[in-house]
Amino acid sequence: MSTTRTATGAVAGAFDRIVELEPGRRAVAVRNIPHTLPCFDHHFPRFPVLPGVLLLESMAALAKAAAGGERAWRLASVRGVRFKHFVGPGDQVHLTAEVTGGNRHTTEVRATARVGDRVVATARALALALADEPWEGTA
Amino acid sequence: MRFHLIDRIETLTPRETITARKVTSVDETYWQATPNGPVLPFGLALEALCQAATWLIMISTDHRLRAALLAVGEATAHRDVAPGEVLSMHATIESMTGEAAILDGTVTAGGERVLEATGILCALIDAERLDDPDHTRRMAHQLQGGGPVG
Repeated sequence: MSTTRTATGAVAGAFDRIVELEPGRRAVAVRNIPHTLPCFDHHFPRFPVLPGVLLLESMAALAKAAAGGERAWRLASVRGVRFKHFVGPGDQVHLTAEVTGGNRHTTEVRATARVGDRVVATARALALALADEPWEGTA
Repeated sequence: MRFHLIDRIETLTPRETITARKVTSVDETYWQATPNGPVLPFGLALEALCQAATWLIMISTDHRLRAALLAVGEATAHRDVAPGEVLSMHATIESMTGEAAILDGTVTAGGERVLEATGILCALIDAERLDDPDHTRRMAHQLQGGGPVG
């Protein structure tokens, strides 16, 4: 299952399967990293590494699922994102997103990515805003 | 898709700043479906800025070092980017040693800020571990308006 898809179902990356979902509280998902991902052709030719921003996009997609509700969310900002270990072909990434705050218009989520027992990336705060509301400062 | 999010390097001052450009197209595969139509994913706007930063590092070190993203202090999106818009990435090195660099930067489109990021922490690693330095030199030449290289 994936809650976010690109127009062509391509690279922006979400996750392969949700394994836990408590809307408004938390979500857990798995994303597999096969060697067939097109990004590995160039990132990098001598040492394939999943670009950290694609892991961040997976966290954001899962954060939107954890936020729940009837309306779509967009990622407005991130704070305290850390990439601790390389993720590469053959890895299976377990993603966790936990809602830490928010109101009717925004939701804040903390996210962690693990491969096996090792934490590979963390995001202290993913701030989500409702996708159909005006951008702050643009209304 | 090719994971090259920089089409041209417009200005560069070694060890200081870079301004780079990317044109977007509906023919690219990364667009994210939203209630407002297809938009550039937040992470790819951030990646475009980080790729501008890594070109700045590579060219500043004669392609000896390459940046690997370790952390982002804060990044904020200011508006959506739609297919067909032209992105301008501007990155500034705030500090740099032989092992790491910290950069700040903005992405603009049509003169408007679409994303800004601070505290982009990169490990500087041996570029040869990741790619053929001759290839990145050729590509840098092209990105800086040098045209095709044999």
